[in-house]
Parts: sequence; structure tokens; C-alpha cells
Amino acid sequence: MATRRAFLAGLAAASLPRVSWAEVGSPACLAAGKRGEEFVLHGLSDQGESLFEIGLPARGHAAAAHPAQALAVAFARRPGTFALVLDCLTGSVRYRLTPPEGRQFNGHGAFSADGALLMTSEVVAEGSAGRIGVWETAGFTRIDEWESGGIGPHDIRRLADGRLVVANGGIQTDPGDRTKLNIDTMRPNLTLLSPDGALLDQVELAAELQQNSIRHLALHGDGVAFAMQWEGDAAEPVPQLGLWVPGSAPQLCPPPDAQGFAMKGYAGSIAVNRAGDLIVLTSAPAGVVMLFDGAGKWLFTHPRADVSGAAAVGDGLRLTDGQGGVWAYGRGGLASLARNATAWDNHLIALG
Amino acid sequence: MLLRATLLSFCLATPALADFEQTLSDHILPGYATFAASTQALADAAAKDCKADDLKPAFNAAYDAWLGVQHLRFGPAEADGLSVAIGFWPDPKGSGAKAQRALLLGDPAQLSPEHFPDQSVAARGLTGLERLLYPAEPLPADPCALIQATTLDLARMAKIINDNWVNTYSKTMLTAGDLGNTTFQTRPEVRQTLFTQVVAALEFDKDTRLARPLGTFDQPRPERAEAVASGRSQRNVLLSLQALRAMVVTLTPDAPLTLAGFDRAIKLAESLDDPSFVGVATPQGHLKVEILQQAISAVTDTVVSELGPELDVGVGFNAADGD
Repeated sequence: MATRRAFLAGLAAASLPRVSWAEVGSPACLAAGKRGEEFVLHGLSDQGESLFEIGLPARGHAAAAHPAQALAVAFARRPGTFALVLDCLTGSVRYRLTPPEGRQFNGHGAFSADGALLMTSEVVAEGSAGRIGVWETAGFTRIDEWESGGIGPHDIRRLADGRLVVANGGIQTDPGDRTKLNIDTMRPNLTLLSPDGALLDQVELAAELQQNSIRHLALHGDGVAFAMQWEGDAAEPVPQLGLWVPGSAPQLCPPPDAQGFAMKGYAGSIAVNRAGDLIVLTSAPAGVVMLFDGAGKWLFTHPRADVSGAAAVGDGLRLTDGQGGVWAYGRGGLASLARNATAWDNHLIALG
Repeated sequence: MLLRATLLSFCLATPALADFEQTLSDHILPGYATFAASTQALADAAAKDCKADDLKPAFNAAYDAWLGVQHLRFGPAEADGLSVAIGFWPDPKGSGAKAQRALLLGDPAQLSPEHFPDQSVAARGLTGLERLLYPAEPLPADPCALIQATTLDLARMAKIINDNWVNTYSKTMLTAGDLGNTTFQTRPEVRQTLFTQVVAALEFDKDTRLARPLGTFDQPRPERAEAVASGRSQRNVLLSLQALRAMVVTLTPDAPLTLAGFDRAIKLAESLDDPSFVGVATPQGHLKVEILQQAISAVTDTVVSELGPELDVGVGFNAADGD
């Protein structure tokens, strides 16, 4: 595998004009959005200014940034029929990725550390069994496919050592739309895969929390912080944040009981700052952001209408909202950085 | 500021220019003032005499006042989870009753004004008080001290919310769009927030206040209705609809279909004659509550299709459709 990967990386070096992120203004993050009736992907500076804007054929969800070259992969919303490899210098579509017959992209993806491989979260359309698609990045052809270890995988994150954490959300959806089919029996899990796709570890939530869909991840220490969306009775307060270090049990982080409904059971995005001492969750349905310390202890709830994207940038945190706002965020609350004519969509993806 | 004040009074004299300034002055501020005054009156009454029957009128007046503002789930009422503590419902696991039992049998120091605000949100507020004034079964101890603590705590929370609106948050709203206002970056953001409250409150009436007792036709769940003990289930829906209609009127004079939809739902809620929704256990009673539920669903659709465009706002891009 190592030999093959080295070969592919060499191929990439030989065949692609290598444009670095510095040549496109060194964006700090990527964000999909909607401007007027157009769907777009932006590169944003650490101060929230748009450095480039590239049109998308349909609404995007998340993106993945190549670790070195100015290439962004924009993923369609579920059920995803396309992912576009965008040249962030020219704005052109370098490659159009189509899932194999009977597969659908599920919104997120991650590059290997050397950029030689792209891994995409996918489902088998019929039944929503999870798959991780593996693509080489010299010509973006599909070279492999792994089982994700559960139903309806959504976010995936690569740990520093190359192992991959998958949030298997547990929800089976109709192949043609987003109708949820198994809410009564869903069983989300967190799965750890080796760099070549072998299942290394897997954890589930307690029985009474199995309707808490694990959907988004952020790297945190030796593991991940994970964000959940509650599909059960809205009258039950359940945690939206958890921490997981592979090899141990997941730790749930409920806020104090007066804050138990502040997120309306929904976390849309999660980010951890570089120091690892602040974790942010966003909830657009509730119009709030919740801040926790690195151990998962609740610190603050701050209001912000339609806030959704969250990412660690530099030493700080950034948020985006559906009104076009880009915000610096921390213990002091939100500070406005920029406001764009683009309504920012669900996620803000940090580079590097 | 003088110009704004002049414009504001001009707006008030000219309904055609209704906007959120009018919502603030005619709906939000009077609503919280009434809630603060009625909870203070309740606490004063309980301090003098904590006999349940004597307190019921003041309790109901305070509950009525809460229904006038309960839909405003933003700003001061959301700080520190106050709105959750004031009206903790639904409580499917009965955690409020359990926590209250522990308080009734435990250390009286927990009931002091210093410590009571730290007790479980499920045990406090109007729903907590309702269980003490309308006990389903005999209480394990004399509730007088807990009644007094709960009413004092309610008055305290209502005062915090009212004071914050009067002293701080009104200005936050009125200075929407000013540099440095991170709560409302533009005036449309205020309208969007208010619009969102109407939609969310209608959904709460439909999906929680009515859907929980309705259950299914084969398995109705009347015991899951709100405020069953005090017989306020129907009244709470009615007052909620009336408050929402009143708020819409302050937002715009130009939403005739929305108001007509509210009028229809209000009429149905008034004529239900099923105070605690026990009727949902009968086929006919179930149908009547379902018809009210459908009417509320219809108003919600009209609010989105008429009121939203009229205010030039919609449900948030992300709030409407996350993943």
C-alpha cells in the first residue's frame, strides 16, 4: 500500500500544475453558501474576507481542502450525486467525482496527510449501509472502498497518525430524498479505521441515547469531540456534545439542566480551538452557540440567529451564519469580522 | 435619538407603518411588565397566606400573564435558561415531581432565596407551583415553605427578565444595524427573529400542546396534556394563539390571511369546551382537538407564505434545513 501510495503521489507531482494555497491568497477556511439564487464556494481569510468565489451546480454541504495544493473538493448535500474538485486559482472544475452505481456521497470527506488520497463518506443508496470511498488524487479515480462500520456515515476525520474516525449517524434514508426510515431502531456509532480501512475500534451510545445521531467531528487531543442531533422525544434533554479517545468509552458532556433545551436537541457544527481548551457547538434551529472547555464542561450559551458554520482558525474560533456574517468567537462572545452577500451554508472548513 | 422618538410616535399613530418598534412598545414590554407584576402579586399573597385554594386566583393570573410572553424565546428570557425554569413542560419522566418530593422532605435551607434558584429547573416555576396547589395525591409534607420559595423565585425571574428588557435589551433591539450591535446586525434581523418566534410558537402549540395529548386515534394520551391539574390545557392554547395574533398585528397591518387564520383557530380553541383535554379519549373529542390542530397548522403555513414575505424575511437558511 505504501509503495502504491508513493507511486501515486509521484504521479500527482508529475502531472498536475501545482498551485499552492499561498497563490490563491492563503485562505484560512472554505465555506459553501448561496448568493441570490446561485450556489457558491468561497475561500475566506482569517478575517472573514472572501478571497475567491467559485460557482457550484447545486447546493453544497461541506468541503475538503487538499493539504498542499489549492484544490478544494466541494460535496453536494445528501443524497449526493457529485463532488467537484475545484482549482481555487482559476475557479475551474478540475475533476467531477461521481459515486459508483448504487452509492451516494453523504456530505463530507478528508484527504490523507500527504494529499495522495481522498476519502469520502458514502452510503449504499438502498439501505444506507456506510462506505468510505477511496480516490487517488493524481487523476481522482476511485481505487478502493471500505465499510464505514455503520449506517449513514456523515462526517469523517483523519487523526494525525492517519487513522480515520467515522461518525456513523445511524439514520437510514430513502434513496430518493432525505426521508428518515429507521428512527425507532437507529444505532449510531463512532468507528475508528486504520489508514487502509481496517476496523480498529467502535463505540455506541447507551441504549436510551441511540436516537442521538452522531453526525459531526472535530479533532481533539488524541481523539475527537463529536456533535449529535436528537431524533427522539423533544421533551427529553440529551447531550449534544461528546468526547472520544479510541480505546476508551465515549464521554458525554451535558450542559447544566437550565441549558438542557437551549440547542433544541441539535448541533449543526463543532470545532475545537488549537489549544484544545475551547469546544464550540452551533444550533441554527435554536439560534445559539454553546461553548465548552476542553474537558467538555459547559461555559456559555450565546445567541446568534441562524448560526451554523464553525472552525478553528489560527488560535481562535470562527463562526458563519445564514445572514452572511463571519464572526470571531470565544469566551467573550461573538465579534463581527465581516458580512458577505452570501448566506453561509451549514459548514465552515478550516485549511491546514 | 430625538428623531427616532419622533418617528416612533408617528409610527404608533399610523398603523400602516407598524414595525418591530411597535411590537416592542405595544406587545413585548407591556407583556413582561404584566408578568412581573402578577408574579410579584402572587409572591406577596403567598407570603401572607400559603393556603392552596386562596392562592389559585393569583396563580392563574400569573400563568395567564406568562402565556402573553411565553412565545418570546429570545433575549432576556433565554439568558440562564429562565424561560425553561418558569414553564418546565413537558416533563415525560416526571423529574419535577421527584425533585419537589426531595425538597419537601429535605433540608429547609434549600428553600432559601440564596439556594432555591440553584434547584432543578423541573422543580420550579409555574408547573412546580401547579403541583403544589393542585396536588394529584396528598403531598408528603406541608408545602407552605416550598410554595413561598417557588413564588418568590418566580417573581425574581420575572423581574430579571422585565428589568433586562427595560434597561438593556430594548436598546439592543432599537439600535439594530448600528456598528457594534452583534445581536442584530440589521433591522431585518430583528424582524426575522420575531417572525421565527411566531412560527416556533405555533409549532409548539400544534406539536406539543396538542399532539402530546392527542397521541394517536387508537391510543389517545389525555394525561400528557399541559396543566391538566389546574384545568388550563385548553386555556393555554387559546391564550397562546391570542398573544401571537396580537404580536402579528404590531408587526404589520398587512397580513389579512394570517389574521383570518388566527381568528379561525382562536374561535375553535374558544369553543372546544374541554378544559384539560380529557375529551381526546373519546372519538368525537379527539376529532375536535385534531380540527384545532389542523387550523393551527394552516395558520403556520399562512404565516410562512404571507407574513414572512410581508416582513421580507423567512425561516433561516440553516435553521430550515441542516444536516
